[in-house]
Amino acid sequence: MSSPPPATHSVPSSERVLRRLFLTLFLRGRTSRGTGQFRKKGGPPTSVGRKLALVLGFYAFFGLYSLSLLGQTVFVLATYLHAMTLVLVGMYVASSAGEVLFNKEEGDILLHRPIEPSVLLRARIAMLVQVSLWLAGAFNLVGLFVGIGARDGGWLFPLVHAGSAVMEALFCTATVVVVYQLCLRWFGREKLDAFMTATQVIVSIAVVLGGQIVPQLMLRLEGTTLVSVGDWWVAFLPPAWFAGIDDAIAGSGSGNAWWLALLGVAATSGVVWLALSRLAGDYQSGLQTMSESAPRKPRRGRRGLIDRLVGVPPLRWWLQDPVSRASFRLTASYLARDRDVKLRIWPGIAPMLAIPFLIMLPSGGDADDVMNVAGVGFGAAYLGLAPLMALNMLEFSQQYQATDVFRLAPMRGPAALTHGARRAVLVLVAFPMMVAYGGIMLLTGQPASALVMLLPGLISLPVFAMFPGLGGHGVPFSRAPETHKGAGRTLYIVGAMIASGVVAGISAWAHSTGWLGWMLTGETLLALTLYFTMRATVQRAKWGSLE
Amino acid sequence: MITIDRLTKTFGTQTAVDALSLEIPAGQIVGFLGPNGAGKSTTLRMLTGMIEPTSGSATICGFDLASQVIEVKRHVGFVPESGAVFESLTGLEYLTMVAALYAIPEAAAVERIRQFIAFFDLSFETLTEKLLGAYSKGMRRKVVITSALLHNPPVVFFDEPLDGLDANAAVGFKALIQSLAHEGKTIVYSSHILDVVERVCDRVIIIDKGRLLLDGAPDELVTSHGTGTLEKLFTQLTGGEELERRAEDFARTFRQ
Repeated sequence: MSSPPPATHSVPSSERVLRRLFLTLFLRGRTSRGTGQFRKKGGPPTSVGRKLALVLGFYAFFGLYSLSLLGQTVFVLATYLHAMTLVLVGMYVASSAGEVLFNKEEGDILLHRPIEPSVLLRARIAMLVQVSLWLAGAFNLVGLFVGIGARDGGWLFPLVHAGSAVMEALFCTATVVVVYQLCLRWFGREKLDAFMTATQVIVSIAVVLGGQIVPQLMLRLEGTTLVSVGDWWVAFLPPAWFAGIDDAIAGSGSGNAWWLALLGVAATSGVVWLALSRLAGDYQSGLQTMSESAPRKPRRGRRGLIDRLVGVPPLRWWLQDPVSRASFRLTASYLARDRDVKLRIWPGIAPMLAIPFLIMLPSGGDADDVMNVAGVGFGAAYLGLAPLMALNMLEFSQQYQATDVFRLAPMRGPAALTHGARRAVLVLVAFPMMVAYGGIMLLTGQPASALVMLLPGLISLPVFAMFPGLGGHGVPFSRAPETHKGAGRTLYIVGAMIASGVVAGISAWAHSTGWLGWMLTGETLLALTLYFTMRATVQRAKWGSLE
Repeated sequence: MITIDRLTKTFGTQTAVDALSLEIPAGQIVGFLGPNGAGKSTTLRMLTGMIEPTSGSATICGFDLASQVIEVKRHVGFVPESGAVFESLTGLEYLTMVAALYAIPEAAAVERIRQFIAFFDLSFETLTEKLLGAYSKGMRRKVVITSALLHNPPVVFFDEPLDGLDANAAVGFKALIQSLAHEGKTIVYSSHILDVVERVCDRVIIIDKGRLLLDGAPDELVTSHGTGTLEKLFTQLTGGEELERRAEDFARTFRQ
């Protein structure tokens, strides 16, 4: 009888094969619809990898901002670079880790192969780290050279900063993996899905807090953009640990910098050890959970709540069209229940939801001061982007093929489905956040008069929410997740952020000059015009072709 | 070749496989039958090391499923019901990747792949030029079957292998598994197409609600129960007699 071939040394190791596989899948996407199906003669298959190059170009462009820190100390420059790197890398890892580490489809392909779970884990982490390094490298490219001209910098900076950025990417990836593993260990396999989602949301928020918000807090606490290596509180900020490495070796070389550097090295080593060694066993049990196909009872409470919501005014009036009502129910159910959607949506919009709260934290000055009022306006306008982001992401799902049923139904176009999804996001995401925003604003000591600054954001909200439905898009769960990646989406979001910033800027100016009433009237008229024009376009849209 | 002793799997309070015990010798083709939700796929997933049994034990080719799972995986091939593949790889990329996981050198893998695609009537160009996502369901199934047999495993588990195959490919596949059994391989074949099972398998195991209902040679079972066909025996055992009445009730809803 024949038997399997013995292992030979002339073939690459499983880990190498898997690393190459996961990277290929990342670059090409895991499914083929919408990413091109045929390999062009002599070239690689159509790939989201090309779009990745554009994303990297965009990040490199974004990195040009570090030029504004020319002449600062190495520690200040490095803190900024590491803070932003932590945000960019953290966002990528937090939003991708769930799908990369626990992909159910991959379970059917790989789990019956002779691969140690630890090898699978290492290969997946390696892919996450590799992409993180690309992102970090693109963003830090300009900063590397700015560091040469830093006040206490020199030619050693690029080398040291490259090393500390690699360490930061490792720290970030390993931290996310450890959080998953701890969830598995503490909460068990049965609750993995729910906790994975919650974990990603928490990690996303933590990353934003640690990386982007801290510089703002520093500004408010110190009244200056400068952060000093001697400040006691910087020891609590991960970006400062890695900036400490830069400063210790290529900057001031002060004792505090060495302590921070030591903290960075220790933290990175610790989380890498935990992720790859101490907690690796929990990963195996997590993988097995993904393979278990036992039916889960739907949580009646949530579905019941959605049904009740839809059945009472004003939602009953707003959702009279049966298709829109069905789309609303579908979207609401998936927002609450589906793992894939939850992992995509909530971590994706978490920073959107967190940042406004931090923008409006009192600056310590007069509650009526111009900066505070403007902050409220900016926060509300920024929050207005949350439904746009959510709707944009809701279009993508691993179950995209199931939505072929929409195309089979006797509908001329996807308008009714788009409207249902949009309304679900407005009701279940945007409205509660606006209410919470107003509540927290009052709790944090903002005057009631500042509430009026919520209006510009509120007025623009329906317009932003209509954007994802243009061009026949916005059909919930109808596209493969792979088509989600790429520079197009990043630029689209950045464009929306600029638009919301313009709205907030004008409203802050109008508030300070006493023209707010006129500004709100003008904005309302413009918003109504845009809303109805876009709505008519959405109504006319027909089904796009399936690639 | 395969020994299963009181193998059990529970999901919360639900028991998917309930103390299943079996012995399957080398070279046997075993039809593994049961209605939807009977526990067939869960059993196969346990035996291929994809999920951990709650209790009980199993050995495959002498390797213990609990303590030597990697060795077990090295000695089994599995065609899962989902037929999942990495859609953004070409067929050749996918198969050489799978071969590498079993430490098969690329040249040897390509040679075996050529033999398989010749058998399945696929062109090598299709395999190298087209992404798997662009394959038809049947073509994809052929690739999955090839990937399960590439490493020449002594035990092969098929979960609904004919799903998507055209009539010719299905006939060829039946001939293939008989040839494999003649080579001494053990085949466990889970399917709902009972006449194929009746014709191809040496032995039939029927389970329901995770429990073993019946085990024996198809013709002997049919004769001893006096049902005439395996299909009738299956419906009798698994409570399918009411299906005709239910179909009539269902059709009546359209008349109202």
